Amino acid sequence: MEQRDLIYKYLKELERYLARLEKAQAQEVLKEIESHIFDALEQQQSSDQVEDASTILRGFGEPRQLAFAYVAHITDGAPPPAGFKAIQKVKQGVTATLFYAMAVFGFSIAVALIFVAGAEVFMPDSVGVWSAGNGNSMAIGFLAKPYPAEQELLGAWLTPVAVVAALLVSLLTRQVLRQLKHQR
Amino acid sequence: MTTEEKEEKIQEKWEVQLRKGTLELVILAALQHRTLYGLELLKLLQSFKSAAITEGTLYPLLDRLKREGIVDAQWVQDGDTRPRKYYSLTATGHHKLADLVTLWRQSVLDIEFLLAHPGPAILPVQGE
Repeated sequence: MEQRDLIYKYLKELERYLARLEKAQAQEVLKEIESHIFDALEQQQSSDQVEDASTILRGFGEPRQLAFAYVAHITDGAPPPAGFKAIQKVKQGVTATLFYAMAVFGFSIAVALIFVAGAEVFMPDSVGVWSAGNGNSMAIGFLAKPYPAEQELLGAWLTPVAVVAALLVSLLTRQVLRQLKHQR
Repeated sequence: MTTEEKEEKIQEKWEVQLRKGTLELVILAALQHRTLYGLELLKLLQSFKSAAITEGTLYPLLDRLKREGIVDAQWVQDGDTRPRKYYSLTATGHHKLADLVTLWRQSVLDIEFLLAHPGPAILPVQGE
């Protein structure tokens, strides 16, 4: 029983280090090595030797090193040359700036939209969406001298529309931020 | 460290290098017209003094050879036995073996020639 525990512990550890391979590939490697170990164990038994898993496992070497030999082809050529470190840093800096700028930009639009939605409820006359110049330009927000009422679009609908838009904008911002975080 | 130990160490190092360099040829040769699973192949190699390698060297190498299309692998289950992964040479593998064999034989010939013609006379031009 102790022998099996030793083997499963080894395989478990190997599996952890093989995580960089595709799952199916890693499972294939594990299956083959497991098959080998139990075959070798049976051969020991049938030749009247003492069951000794540790000798077999020693032949495979440390799980970390064995896994590295399998994963080596992935890392081959992957690490950038030394000079590229600076570029990596610059890229990281840009991503950080982009991250916070995106957060400020996205969330302030959302807050502004919520504000407009609230203001529409209290000051329906001076808040709204107007179309001016026959649709050539549009104004959203507060106006000291509002356009004639008939030119206002949406009217009281502005509140729900602005709230929904605010929600969408914050959701979108969150998605973008999540992606940016991933890149860092 | 005595001179003897030093010499032994250098010899050992050279042996390791030689084994490493010829390993691929050895494996391809072992799989020539034969299908073997890992443990069988390992036992076969370990029965030769110059080809004795460990599990930890063999399996990752087989994995690489398979990725390069030099060997093919297939899981086979015979009756109640545990499924085993059998390796065989692909067409590319056979070509590769032929290439390596040519290089190997040339290398042996050259070394043997040098050994057969020790100093101080100037070497006769080979093939004349």
